[in-house]
Order: sequence, then C-alpha cells, then structure tokens
Amino acid sequence: MAKKLMKGCEAIAEAAIQAGCRYFFGYPITPQNDIPEYMSLRLPQVGGCFLQAESELAAINMVYGAGGAGARVMTSSSSPGISLKQEGISTCAAAEIPCVVVNMMRGGPGLGNIQASQGDYFQAVKGGGHGDYHLIVYAPSSIQEACDMMQKAFDVADQYRTPVMILADGLIGQMMEPVELKTNPDLVLPEKPWAATGYTPGGKKPRSVLNSLYIETEDLDQLLERLFARYAVIEANEQMWETYNTEGAEYILCAYGTVARVCKAAIRILGEQGVKAGLVRPISLWPFPSKAVHDAIVQDSVKEALTVEVSSGQMVEDVRLAVNGERPVQFMGKAGSYIPTAEEIAERILQMRRG
Amino acid sequence: MRDYYVLLGGFGSGKSEMALNLALEKAAQGSCMLVDLDVINPYFRVSEREDMLDKAGVELISPPYSMKKIEIMSISPRVYAAFTPGDGTVIFDVGGDHVGAAALGQYKPNFSRIPPENLEILFIVNPMRPVAADLQSAWSLMEKVEGVSRLRFTGIVNNGNMAEESDLSHLLAGYDLVKELSEKTGVPVWGTCGQERILKEYEAYAKEHGLEEKYIGKLYPIEILMHRSWAKYLKEGL
Repeated sequence: MAKKLMKGCEAIAEAAIQAGCRYFFGYPITPQNDIPEYMSLRLPQVGGCFLQAESELAAINMVYGAGGAGARVMTSSSSPGISLKQEGISTCAAAEIPCVVVNMMRGGPGLGNIQASQGDYFQAVKGGGHGDYHLIVYAPSSIQEACDMMQKAFDVADQYRTPVMILADGLIGQMMEPVELKTNPDLVLPEKPWAATGYTPGGKKPRSVLNSLYIETEDLDQLLERLFARYAVIEANEQMWETYNTEGAEYILCAYGTVARVCKAAIRILGEQGVKAGLVRPISLWPFPSKAVHDAIVQDSVKEALTVEVSSGQMVEDVRLAVNGERPVQFMGKAGSYIPTAEEIAERILQMRRG
Repeated sequence: MRDYYVLLGGFGSGKSEMALNLALEKAAQGSCMLVDLDVINPYFRVSEREDMLDKAGVELISPPYSMKKIEIMSISPRVYAAFTPGDGTVIFDVGGDHVGAAALGQYKPNFSRIPPENLEILFIVNPMRPVAADLQSAWSLMEKVEGVSRLRFTGIVNNGNMAEESDLSHLLAGYDLVKELSEKTGVPVWGTCGQERILKEYEAYAKEHGLEEKYIGKLYPIEILMHRSWAKYLKEGL
C-alpha cells in the first residue's frame, strides 16, 4: 500500500484491522480517543463491531468475551483508564484469552495530565493487576514501528494465548508521520479449538470453559505451572531490541519509545564532539532483552550507562538487574511529562565524562 | 469591514498550517485576529504557537484552558470580539472533521451578517490523508461539515502533502481530487497550497501538461510552522 500521512492513533487502529482485528471495546480518554473514533468508523465497514462500553471495566470484560470466542479483539486506553482495566487484564491472563491492549501513556499518578509520559512501565511489565502473571509488552518508537507491531501483537497473543500490551507514550498517538500500512489480503487466522463458540449436546467437541477461578490448590498450581512454562518459552523466543552505534562506544544510553529517538539525536551531537556513545533500545519490555542490554553495556570500551525515561526511574531497575553491577548505570528523567531534549541528554553524558 | 477566513476540512488536512501562514501574512499587512476554535485536539494546535503569533502582532483567541494541559475543550467568550466592527482580517481555525466544525454552528447569526465579498469559507483537502482520500469520502465530509457548521463553502483548497516527505506527486493527486470535488459540488477551487519549492515545480508541471487554471486557483506558498517533523521536534519541542 502506498504511504499515507497518518496520526499515530489512526495508524495503530488501521494496522489492527489489517491484522484481522474485528472487535473493539473501549471507553474514551485523552490522548487515545482517536483510536476508538477511527474504529467506530472503520470496523462496521469490514464487518466488525465497535462498541463504546459504559466503563473501562465493562470494555475489558467484553474483550474477554470476544477473545474467549476466538475473535481478534482489542481495546485501548490511556494510563488512568488502563488502571481501571487491570482486574480484567489479570482475568484474561488467567483464562488464557488472547487480546491486545494499547496504552497511550499520559502523566500520572492519579488523573495526572494529558501530555506524553512513560510512568506506566512498572504497571505494564511487573503485573499491574493482581496475581502471578505476565503480559507481553511492546514499546514502539515511531508510528511505522507501531503499525508493524500490531500484526506481531495479534500473532503472539494467539500463539501464546496471552494478552499483549502496546505501551506507547502519548506522542506516538498524537504525532503525524508518513506510514506504509501493510495490507494482508491472504491473512489466515490460526485455528482456535479451545474457543467457546457454542456447544452441541452429543457433538464431538467438548464444552469449552474459559475460566479464571480455580478453587482447589492443585488446580491453581497446575494453571500457574502451565502459564510459567509458557512464559519461559516467551522469554527465550520473543525478546526484541535495537542497538545503535553501540560497538566500541564509551557511553551507552538505554531508552524506549520516543525517548530513544531523542537519544539518537543526542548520540549524533556527542559524536560531533568526539564522544562515542551508543543506544540500546528495548522493544519488548517484557520479555525484557536482558542479555542484549547487558552485552551492549558490558563491553571493554564502555565506562558507564545512562537510562533516560519520562518517569522518575522505572525501567532503570531492569537495566541495573541486567548489568548486575558490572558497570555503573545512571538515571536521567523527570516525571510529569517532561521529555528531555537531545542537548540535555548530551550534556548529561559530558558531565559524566568530566566525572 | 473585516475580511473573514474560515478554515475547515478533514482531520489533519493542514488547516492549522494554513491558518498560521495566513495570519502572519495578514498581520504584516494590517491587523489580524486568529481564533483557535479547535475543540478536538489536545496537542498540536495553533495556540501552541502563541509566542510566534504574538511577535508577529497576531491577536490570538484561545479557549480559556488550552495549553493549560487539561482536557476541557471549551470556547472562549472572546470569540464574539471577532464579529465586532473593525478592520483587518479574522481567521477561524476549526478542529477536525464535522465533529469539530459543530463548534461553528452557534455563530450562524454572526456569519450571516457578513457581506459575501468579505467571507471565505474554505474546505482544505489533502488526498494523502486516508479520511478524505477520494471523491466519495471528501464529498461526504464536505456535506457533513456544511451541515453542522451551518455555513456554505466558498472555495476548495488543494493541500496535497505528506509532511516532511512532500513532493509534486501529492499536489497532483490533490489536483485530481479538487477537480472532481469542484465539478461535483460547484464550489470553485480557491487555491493550491504547498511549500514554495514544490509549488514552483507544480506551476511548471501545470503549464507543461495543461492543467486547468480553474482547478489550480491561487498558488499559495506556505512555510511549515505547525507540523513538527521529528528533526524539528528534537530542536524545538512541540
């Protein structure tokens, strides 16, 4: 398909439709409203269904229903709305319901503000809802990447029967960039024999029960063993990251989402001043690309690393775990939606260099 | 008597870009008032360019809460100042689609008192935007916008572009679309908008290939003041 000029939210919604998504349930909140708006227009045109639910809680439970019936389904929200959906996300994880949840992060905690932020990293990768579970979490840094990621998100959700979250900052949703949307006319959706699509008494197919309530200890243990065996496979196979200019670098920046693009500009500024810096950008936040982050930072040439986030410091904990004390990992960031400039990041590295 | 420009169109068609350029041009010639009547977009709105407009002497009327970073999209009572007697130019930048254009409907009695020769109501078209990429969708959008804004279009503007990747092909796609749209609706083509370099190429192409003058209209060069390409964003922020 030829390039189009699209706003991030629209592009994500269209990419979801191209990936076979036919159901969207959501509730409005800034700065992601353009996703439901676009879905409300487009889904009826492709024989799908858009429904604005009465609340976030209702929306995520409708996602549970549609995902449980085997459909490709998604919801989207922004930080406070995602908090409201957490109970349902935990339930989807327990009942092994494939679905995609988009979080266009805004400033928090509480109602916060409506500007871009990265304050929901902990919520996305460390649980968010109750209980022992993980989500696969992807963080796009451009609109094109966000589009390409939607297909991947629906595919892995089905493959591993798990909810997948796209964790983007508000900028990704609101920016306009030229994008190329991949159409997928030959898309074949995977068979879902487990789906609850109706039961015929006396028929061959057993009753499908999608459930998250396991009263007996042994039963819950069994579920968790199954989930965690699957999470181990995901951790082994699904890590995604990008490295930029890391070989032989003196300083390594670590950032995700749009901040990583600012870091690349900082690296160019540093290069002009004769300082070699590189970037390692986690694309999958869970599974966290620990080995890639470790290997980028723990090289002979590297003195120190700097993690940059639009938060008070969340991903930096995973970076430090990955590096395991083999190099100092500094943090730069401010909550309240302040996105550092390339000059500020470069200056911070120069400060570290002066000691 | 004031001259009025009301800029309407699809979501992301480039209304704000044209509004800013028009405002700077008119302010250099006399007085100019720019009304930010966008009740749709939380980011990327003309009010973000307040400093630049202020320096150029443009009087900006913003919603009371815009740029306070909260999401109460309200309309300033100062909008009525735009309809008081005076000189110079008044430009309305209206939020996307028919949803945003609904904000205009309440000013119908005020607009109806403006003599037609002082009022341009322009529909901005960018065929590279999927929301209004073909005749059917652009035409249907035009009708919806007219319905809720309670205004009749006086002109169509070809603003075919792909942001930082813009080239001649986008204006040519725009030419085909505004031609069809103008034939269908009877609304004349007001002009063609674009960065100066591309506009020059377009002018040369039009001569060589005999594009019809009436579907080109006035060639209106614009500078990119609103859209932030990534490079520009890194330098200047939002």
